Amino acid sequence: MTRWALVVFLLLISLWYLSFLATRLDRLHHRVETSWANLDVLLQKRAAVALEIAHSDIADPASSLLLTAAAYQARDAEIKNRSAAESGLSGALGLLLEDSQHLATAADNALLTELSALTDKVRVAIAIHTDAVVRTQKVRSKIIVRFFRLAGTAPLPVTYEFESDVL
Amino acid sequence: MLNRALKIGIVCPYSWDTPGGVQNHIRDLAEFLIAAGHHVSVLAPAQDEDGLPEYVVNAGKPIAIPYNGAVARVLFGPVAFSRVRQWITNGDFDLLHLHEPAIPSLSLLACWAADGPMVGTFHAAAKRQKIIFAIGPILEPAIEKLSARIAVSEAARLTLTDHLDTDAVVIPNGIYASHYKDAIPQEQWQGNTIGFIGRFEEPRKGLSVLVDALPVISRFAPDVKVFVAGPGDSTEILKSIDPQLRHRFTFLGKISEQEKANLMSSVALYIAPNTGGESFGIILAEALASGACVVASDIPAFDDLLGHGEFGALFTSEDSTDLAKVVIDLLRNQEKRSLLAKAGQARGQSFDWTLIASQIYSVYEMSIVGSAKVKLTSDTRSWNRFLSKDDKG
Repeated sequence: MTRWALVVFLLLISLWYLSFLATRLDRLHHRVETSWANLDVLLQKRAAVALEIAHSDIADPASSLLLTAAAYQARDAEIKNRSAAESGLSGALGLLLEDSQHLATAADNALLTELSALTDKVRVAIAIHTDAVVRTQKVRSKIIVRFFRLAGTAPLPVTYEFESDVL
Repeated sequence: MLNRALKIGIVCPYSWDTPGGVQNHIRDLAEFLIAAGHHVSVLAPAQDEDGLPEYVVNAGKPIAIPYNGAVARVLFGPVAFSRVRQWITNGDFDLLHLHEPAIPSLSLLACWAADGPMVGTFHAAAKRQKIIFAIGPILEPAIEKLSARIAVSEAARLTLTDHLDTDAVVIPNGIYASHYKDAIPQEQWQGNTIGFIGRFEEPRKGLSVLVDALPVISRFAPDVKVFVAGPGDSTEILKSIDPQLRHRFTFLGKISEQEKANLMSSVALYIAPNTGGESFGIILAEALASGACVVASDIPAFDDLLGHGEFGALFTSEDSTDLAKVVIDLLRNQEKRSLLAKAGQARGQSFDWTLIASQIYSVYEMSIVGSAKVKLTSDTRSWNRFLSKDDKG
């Protein structure tokens, strides 16, 4: 009798554990999605600011051309090219900012401040997103998760490869 | 950009009425956010209900447990857990900000109980402990609920990656830098003087290192004086000092914030000989902002804060001979002292609350995006969904 009670008890415990793991995974997937959405919005904003900078007096015609091209590329890139496109934009912005600091007027400075504030945010957003992805991958690689298909039909999140520094 | 007023719940793990870095940080942050128009509620344990600020909710009396080389006054247990759940339900928060959620405390309980946007700040820096292999798997599911993690220093971030295998954004502790910049130097503390502030009875604050260095220092600087400020009983310390040198020590007891700023800006050298257990060193940031020339032990947190010696002098931790050498060198060289102090003051300004709070706030913004309000978790959520699907279908 006690043996049966023990079996039932263990079964209940393992059921609870499975449900707990599933909830945990669900939460992680949710976090991956929201952090990506957040990062996406920030990157779009950055491309918009980059375009504004390209049209302002900070940029000489050549850099303006480069920047405009990079910004459009980043905005329209598909997921798989996104990383390369964003890095290209980072590079173009980096080139321009290096020697524009002392030329900038007050109005341009507002743009540059906005850009640097955005860059800081993008950096944080990348950290948050990467962390969520890594966590999810880790939990999903557990044998028990794979065996019971606790992740359901959710696609395995992929790490978004950024150049080590955004700017 | 979020411009609406947020309802923010902050959980303080340590007893509100014991002085400490984490408590001060939370108090300043809460007051800053309130001044910016947000609604803030702080849940904290407290010995005494009286004298708590309006925004603090008392969670009960704390228990003292030894943790990380000091005694931590924390609170947990079933009663505390139900209080935490009640606070979360009543608060209707947009976001929870949990401090030190990886130690057994209210913060960990809140992390378990809540679901929704949560930010965790990690203050402690500790060496890797074996025990983490045992508690890691328990902590992990809770810690990963945090939508964003903040570490107050590079040392704290390393501790976090080491212990829990997760990364964090580094945002240092804040100070009211302008308050320290405007401090008025007092004549009685000027001259060949050395300042020390802290709970000097705790061995990790390292006053004994300074005491051991004084015989050598006083040989080269006969008129040197040491001012020690901070709560505690000085009789034990005085006994350990060579009777001939005792008159060089002045114990000021617990002093006000204003006096603290004045003392820092008056003394020739401010010394922080801490031997460890320090993660950020808020007192050093304050000393820098007040324009003091700072000498600190080379523990990772201080090394980082002082830019490897760029903003203040470093000496080998726990080595009183090295401390004496550095102090004598600086006491004799007025020019070097003022150069260090000047570089340090600029550094100190970068910890001003206006800058720090806006960084913390942008982490808040990112955690809130796309998430609902904070609510109580139910670990059977997948069951519920399963059931509700049945209902529909």
